[in-house]
Amino acid sequence: MTDKHVVQLSGVSKDYGEGAGLVHALKGIDLELHAGDFITLAGPSGSGKSTLLNIIGGLDRPTAGRIEFEGVDITRMTGSALSRLRKERIGFIFQAYNLIPVLTAFENAEYVLVLQGIPAAERRARISALFNDVGLAGLEDRFPRELSGGQQQRVAIVRAIAPAPALVLADEPTANVDSTTGGALMDLMAKLNREKGVTFLFSTHDPLVMGRARRRIVLKDGRIEGDTR
Amino acid sequence: MFDALPPLARVSWRSLWRNRRRTIITLSSIAFGLALALFMVGLAEGVYAKLIDDAIRLQSGHVTVMHRKYLDAPASDLFVRNSGAMRRMMEKIPGVERTKALVMGQALVKTPSGAVGVMVMGVEPAVERAASPLAKKIRQGKYLSSNNGPEIIIGQALADRLRLRVGKKLVVAANDANGQMIEELCRVRGIFRMDTDELDGYFVQVPIGFARRVFGLPRDSATEVGVILHDPDTRHAVADLLAQLPGIKGYGVHTWEKVLPEISGYIRLDRASNWIFQGLLIFLVLFTIFNTIFMSVMERGREFGVLLAIGTAPMRLRAQVFLEALFMDLLGCVLGIIIGSAGVLYFKLNGLDMSKMTKSEMSIGGIGMEMIVRPALTPGIVGWVGGLIFAVTLILSLYPVWKSAKINVAEVLR
Repeated sequence: MTDKHVVQLSGVSKDYGEGAGLVHALKGIDLELHAGDFITLAGPSGSGKSTLLNIIGGLDRPTAGRIEFEGVDITRMTGSALSRLRKERIGFIFQAYNLIPVLTAFENAEYVLVLQGIPAAERRARISALFNDVGLAGLEDRFPRELSGGQQQRVAIVRAIAPAPALVLADEPTANVDSTTGGALMDLMAKLNREKGVTFLFSTHDPLVMGRARRRIVLKDGRIEGDTR
Repeated sequence: MFDALPPLARVSWRSLWRNRRRTIITLSSIAFGLALALFMVGLAEGVYAKLIDDAIRLQSGHVTVMHRKYLDAPASDLFVRNSGAMRRMMEKIPGVERTKALVMGQALVKTPSGAVGVMVMGVEPAVERAASPLAKKIRQGKYLSSNNGPEIIIGQALADRLRLRVGKKLVVAANDANGQMIEELCRVRGIFRMDTDELDGYFVQVPIGFARRVFGLPRDSATEVGVILHDPDTRHAVADLLAQLPGIKGYGVHTWEKVLPEISGYIRLDRASNWIFQGLLIFLVLFTIFNTIFMSVMERGREFGVLLAIGTAPMRLRAQVFLEALFMDLLGCVLGIIIGSAGVLYFKLNGLDMSKMTKSEMSIGGIGMEMIVRPALTPGIVGWVGGLIFAVTLILSLYPVWKSAKINVAEVLR
C-alpha cells in the first residue's frame, strides 16, 4: 500500500425513488482508497455495498458529493468518459462471473485488451502469462459453459487484471463457489495484489474474504460504521 | 472460418447462433417472406411479359411506325408509304428480331345469315405464322397462305354467328381511303379460337394485298409497320433511333405502351396493386422480425450491462448488435433469393396452371391471358425486392440496436 489515493469520496450520498418511496442508500460517505490496498466492504444486505461499488466504478452517479479517481473528478463525467475510465483503469469481478458465453476463456480474458487496442501478439503474451499464474493453462479454448464456477471466476479475474487497472472492484466474488474454491480464489487475488500491486475492493459477506483483507470497511444503513486496518 | 473475423464481428456471429432456434425462425421469416415476395412479383411479371409478348406479336411489335395522326383517329387514309424500304432499314438495326407490316381497318363481313362489323387486319402470312400467337390457334382449316389471295380467317364466335364453315364464302365491305364503298368476296380458310370475345367475335385476318384492295391503299403501303425486338427493354432506344432515320422522319414512332394503352394501363394498375399487397405482406413479415430482434436484445440486458461495465463503449456495443442484425439479414436475404429464384425457375420450366383457380377466361385489351403462367424474374427485380427487404429489415433493427446500449448498467447488474 502507498499513500497515493486511487479513489477519494467526499460526502457521497445516493437516493433512490421519491416521495414516500425515497430510499437513502448512501448517506454522506467520506472514503479514501490507496494504491495497493486490499479492502473488504462488509455489511448486511441493503447496507449500500453494491451501490457504493457501482458509484466508485462509475456505473452509477451519486445524488450528492464528489468522487475523485486518481485525482480527477468523475462526478460529472460524461457516459463515454466514464466508459473510457472503466476500460483503462478499473477492473470488475462479478458474483456470477458474467463471462461472455460466446467467447472462449482466452477471448473473454483478452476482451478488455481488445477494447484498449492492444496488438494481438501482446495480448497473447499477457493473457498466456496470467493463465499460467492462475492455473488456467490448457483451458484457453474452452467456452464458459465448459468450465467450473471456480475456473470461470479465474477467467473473470484475469479479464479484470490483464489491462493493469488502478483498481479492481469485486462484488461478492466467492459467493457462487464452494469454500475451498473461494479460498483458492482469495489466495490468487492476494497474490496478484502482492506481486502486481493491484488494488482490490471487495464487497462481501464472506468471513473467508474478510479474513484476508488488510483493511475492512463496514457499512450499515448507508453509512460507514467501521474502517479498520 | 468465422474465427478469423475481427473480434467484434466474431462476437456478433457467435451471438447470432447462441439461440439457434430463434435465429433459425427469424432467418426463415426473412427468407420465406422474401421468397414469397419474389415469387409473387415473378408470377405477375411472367403474366405481364406473356401478355405483352402475345399482344405485340399479334399487333405490330414493340415499336410501331404509323402516320402521325393515325393513333388519334385510326383511318385507312392515314397510311405509311414504302413500307418495304422502311422494313429493310429497320432490319439492319441490331437487336431486331423481325419486322412486320399491317393494314388495319374497320369493315362489315356479310353472309346470307347476317352482317357483323369487324376489325380487319391485313397481314403477311409468312411473318405471322412465325410471330403471331393467332396462327397457332387455328381450330379448323388452315392459316392464311398467300399475300394476296381472297381468303380470310375468322374467330369461332363470328363463324357461329354467321353460320360459316371452312371453305364458305363471305363478303368484306369497307369504305376505302377515297371514301368509296368496296366489296370483296373471299373464302374462309381457317377458324381460330383465342378465347376472347373481342378476337373470336369481331376480328378477322386477311392477306395484306387483299386488305390493300379492300381499303384502297397503294402497293407497298401499310397502316402500321412494326418491329419485334429480342430485348423488349431496348424499345425506347430503338424508337428514338427510328425516329431519326430518313424515310421514317415525319411519321409517328411509338412504343407498344402507346399503341396498346389498355394493356399498359392494366399492367400499371395491376403492378401498383401488387406492390400494395406485397407491401402489406412484407410489413407483416418485418413486424415479426422486428419483434424477434427486439425481444432478443431485451432479454440480454444483463450481458450488455456487463459489456458496458467492463468498458465497452455504447457505440461499440451497438455496432455488435447491428452486426448481428446485419448477418441475420444478409443470410435471410441470400436464402430468400435462393428459395424464391428456385421456385420461380421451377414454375418457369414447368408452368403454373391457373385455369383451376379461375372459372372464366380473362382478356385484357382483347388479348387473352394465358392460363399456364410462367413466372419471370430479372436481376433488377431480385435486386429491387431483395434490396428493399434487406434495407427495411436493417432499418427496423436500428431501434433494438439503439436500445441495446440504453440501459441502466447498475440496475441490470443488481
